[in-house]
Amino acid sequence: MEYTHKNLSKIETSFNKDLENLTYAELREKYLGKKGFVTEALREIANIPHEQKPIYGKEVNTLKTLVKENLSEKIQQNREYTSKPKIDPTAPSDINEDSQIYNEMLALKGSKHPLTKEVEKLLGIFSSMGFDILESRQIDDDYNMFQSLNFPKGHPARDMYDTFRTEDGLVLPAHTSTMQNRALKKFGPPPIAVVLPGRCFRNEATDAGHEHTFHQIEGVYVDKNVSLSNMIATIKASLERYLETDLKVKIQPAYFPFTEPDCEFVIGCPFCNMTGCSTCGHSGWIEIMGCGMIHPNVLKEANIDPEVYSGFAWGFGVDRLAMIKLNIDDIRHLRESNLNFLRQF
Amino acid sequence: MRLSTNLLKKFVDINIEDKKIVELIQEHIGEVDYSHNLRDAYRDIVIAEIVEKKDHPDADKLAVYKIEYGEGDPIQIVAGDKNLEVGDKVAYFKIGAVVPYSILTEEEPFVIKKINLRGVSSNGMMGSARELNLGNDHTRVMILPEDAPVGKPFAEYYDLNDTIIEIENKALTNRGDLFGILGISRELSAILGQKFVSPDWYLTYDKKLKPEETCLNVKVINDAEAICPRYTALALDNVRVEESPVWLKSTLIKCGIKPVNNIVDITNYISVLIGQPLHALDYDKVISNDPNTKDTANIIVRMAQPEETILGLDNKLYTLDEETMVIADSTHPIAIAGVIGGKETEVDEKTKRVVLESANFNKTSIRKTTMRLGIFTEAATRFKRNLDPKQCLPGLLRATEIIKNENWATVASEIIDICHEERDDLTITLFPEELNTILGTELTIKEITTILENLEYTVEVREKKKETWIKVTPPSWRRDIEIAEDIYEDIGRIFGFNNIPIKLPKKEIVPPHKNSIVEIKKSIREVLSNSGANESVNYSFVGTNSFKKCGLDNNLAYKIQNPLSPELSLMRTTLLQSLLLKARENLEREEEAFTMYEINIAHLNNYIAESKLPIENWYLSCIMTNTKVNTTSSPYFVAKRYLEKIFRYLGIENIQYDLISESKELDLPPYIKNILNIFEPNRASIISIEGIKLGIVGEINVSVKENHKLPEYSGAFEINLEDLVKIKPSSKRYKERPVYPEFTKDLCFEMSKETKYKDLENEIVQILEKENLWYKVECLDIYSDEKLKERKRITYRLKGSDFNKTFDDSEIKTLISKISEKIEKDYEGVRLI
Repeated sequence: MEYTHKNLSKIETSFNKDLENLTYAELREKYLGKKGFVTEALREIANIPHEQKPIYGKEVNTLKTLVKENLSEKIQQNREYTSKPKIDPTAPSDINEDSQIYNEMLALKGSKHPLTKEVEKLLGIFSSMGFDILESRQIDDDYNMFQSLNFPKGHPARDMYDTFRTEDGLVLPAHTSTMQNRALKKFGPPPIAVVLPGRCFRNEATDAGHEHTFHQIEGVYVDKNVSLSNMIATIKASLERYLETDLKVKIQPAYFPFTEPDCEFVIGCPFCNMTGCSTCGHSGWIEIMGCGMIHPNVLKEANIDPEVYSGFAWGFGVDRLAMIKLNIDDIRHLRESNLNFLRQF
Repeated sequence: MRLSTNLLKKFVDINIEDKKIVELIQEHIGEVDYSHNLRDAYRDIVIAEIVEKKDHPDADKLAVYKIEYGEGDPIQIVAGDKNLEVGDKVAYFKIGAVVPYSILTEEEPFVIKKINLRGVSSNGMMGSARELNLGNDHTRVMILPEDAPVGKPFAEYYDLNDTIIEIENKALTNRGDLFGILGISRELSAILGQKFVSPDWYLTYDKKLKPEETCLNVKVINDAEAICPRYTALALDNVRVEESPVWLKSTLIKCGIKPVNNIVDITNYISVLIGQPLHALDYDKVISNDPNTKDTANIIVRMAQPEETILGLDNKLYTLDEETMVIADSTHPIAIAGVIGGKETEVDEKTKRVVLESANFNKTSIRKTTMRLGIFTEAATRFKRNLDPKQCLPGLLRATEIIKNENWATVASEIIDICHEERDDLTITLFPEELNTILGTELTIKEITTILENLEYTVEVREKKKETWIKVTPPSWRRDIEIAEDIYEDIGRIFGFNNIPIKLPKKEIVPPHKNSIVEIKKSIREVLSNSGANESVNYSFVGTNSFKKCGLDNNLAYKIQNPLSPELSLMRTTLLQSLLLKARENLEREEEAFTMYEINIAHLNNYIAESKLPIENWYLSCIMTNTKVNTTSSPYFVAKRYLEKIFRYLGIENIQYDLISESKELDLPPYIKNILNIFEPNRASIISIEGIKLGIVGEINVSVKENHKLPEYSGAFEINLEDLVKIKPSSKRYKERPVYPEFTKDLCFEMSKETKYKDLENEIVQILEKENLWYKVECLDIYSDEKLKERKRITYRLKGSDFNKTFDDSEIKTLISKISEKIEKDYEGVRLI
């Protein structure tokens, strides 16, 4: 034990000395290479008396971590970390290269992600209906996420959105409505027809049905004489096109500070013909999104006169739609990047 | 908000099925979380009387009882509770009955069967409070009041033949008035087209209550007027604290509130009725804890002082600050206003005198307090939703009335009422035409006013020069109504959103604006997914470990203030962080070869000047790895091949590749600098087009590879799409091919490995350009071996034909020698063939 302990300190001392003088590659070879000092010291553990093994193991591991950490620091400092020869970056292939590799890689089963595939499809539909597209931010401020949407500071409805915040006080959007004010300003004066797709975040524990990260699409339509009746018809038409079937729809009251009236959009379950199945929780109906007439304060905040114009907005989660459509039972599959999952699409 | 339909029916005259009530609430008020009828849960449970008690012959811990419930012979039951006596009334679970508690907690509800306990048969069960879902006690059989009628179904006796409806609180965020049964009744009445009139005790009440026998001193000071608009209180003497009667307990249980004692229960009952939280304080405890008084209960509403503490009714110690409103005696807090009472002044069995409080607190202040202290009580849930200060008194008086009627106490003070709210009635002008435009309806003035009056609005129709408008005054409890649109919603809701005929909007036919990023993302997905690559979508969050493993600087990342876990505490600065991690996970699943990409936003700590928001760029990142290949050639070239497929699809040409080791770091944009460490400097290059530096393609750095346990053959690229869309695709115009015969000529040069392939190709192209030719230059092979050492051989295939004539052998020869001369001269190359 005495001997080996000394040995380890010796390695450490010599490493500290070499750190200045040797290159990254040399250091690697000398300490972590096949016959490197640390590698040898690790091998030595077999010859250590049984009762001393734990202590020795701990020490040698500490040494290994120290060497590794210093090495990676060295990379950052010098950028002189490779003994690999230069390639010709302009060439179509490496020297003596076998084109078999490319053919093999390029012949694998590729796939688009089911979520982006559905988003593309939905955006295509809205685009064909004349809607502009403006993608959502992923870090935003309190003004866009709350204040511009008629959630003054301290408003209890803020509790409905379990928002993540950055240490410098910014907000990770909990809904794509965070883009409403920008969209109204950018595409105004009315008529305005725009959809706002994007990634949203909520600070909640994940399980089969809940994710802290999800995808939403928000729609905004503002013009003269726009009515709730127009809203129902527009949402219904887009969903029917997306699900490729006629739908029974109804709307229920809900509460959002940025719409008035505010509603929940419900569709008759297209999978069981409203007879009840697991998708609709055996109720025949699926609550699919929140919607409503844009609150006059929200229009005013974007310099649109609510006395002249009115509009509606709606927003829905793409994850859930994709899951329903593709029979995915666990939302976590969507962001696991498991190739077994991805290659099915 | 949980409500009982039986209670509802006491306020509104309705004769419809409970199922229909649920439907109406759902369609006109708000989302219903669930509803269920308790009767079904209590089927086959009846009230029985114990008629005989014996010891179990074979078990010390069991007793054998006989019970009767008015039908057939006495029934023998073996029970673990040996404390029951002959004459006790119990809830008897017949054979086949289901234990109510198990319905909500077990997958397979527990059904009572005939069993044999140590040789004695037991024909059913006597229920504990928990088994009956009426409390937490599961050690003893619940003994019913003496006057419980034997033989009566338990559900009927306990008023459990009732449907419980839970409305989502979220749907009622701005509707404090709907947190009482009265509010829901009013809405339901209007939905059914009936006029609702609030009960007298709610609207017109007599404040002139006088002390009955004794007079107690209560002194209230409001030092927080701005956020406590009203404080009312009353003292009670000769208080008899006891268990509540069945009706009261039953009501509370059904609304999800645990019965405590008659005084506490009655305060909760008022909350169930009108949503007004009441609080009862032990008068003597208030005085005895206050060093400055002997005969007066001092009650001061004020802001807490820093570091003041209070032990809550939940037995937790809370440390307060200046933003927390408290109810205090002359020295220290005795309750956190509107949120939770204090243990020191709790009403218990020994309480003889009580101060009953009914106050109103500011919603924002209460919300902040609950967030800060993490306390979520029924009272706070209501105050957060903006209650009507006008209902403080009716709440207090109604509670007092019930207490007096039940002889639980006598009134011992006049009513204390400190009111700071002066809110003028709000009058809103409603133009029916506008309302019909917004809703898409054709409602008549009569229809509009009827709906409003049924909800107890005051309306007045005015007419002038053919124009009609309605002056509307919402009732005081509708604190959510501020503008005409709020009233449109009420009318739409009550009329029924689903009765509105639907119609698509009319819009001019204009194409949507171009969105280059959306378009380019779609193209890229098309190319990559059709070239063996799998698109992945990953979290934006990573842990500090990821930065270490990739050699990245985590000071450049945005940090999450409230992360779910340390692994999700930073925003990634490059998508490659996720891809490297996910590549590792997939290799662990024994995947051997794959290409995976992601298109998303990554954040480098950097702000846009005018908006102070982080710069957000879209990136495309791709990683490819193969465990099977055994080659010394660099994965750089496969990565580059993917990239070139994309460029070709987009029509982008003239791409320049410069090795990292040959590039000046200073000239690089921040996002490229950030990811330099992920790549091998001699085997990865900066991609630039028209001087715009787009990203990096190449072999993954040795230590990054090791840290992620990736195989030797692992490459990647990342490019900035915001820059890519700035590059104009080359205009493609059709060119006729010559009709004259085509020649093919292979050329092989030997030169230094340092010589760039592209330079050579460019030379050849330049020479070809000068001829009147259609031509094509291809690379057949790049070769080297041990003998050649630092030299390599590149074999090209030239194809071409002249536009005007046959390009003959001598012309080919001249052309080739031009090329050879140039290459031999400028590149020290040797032509071999």
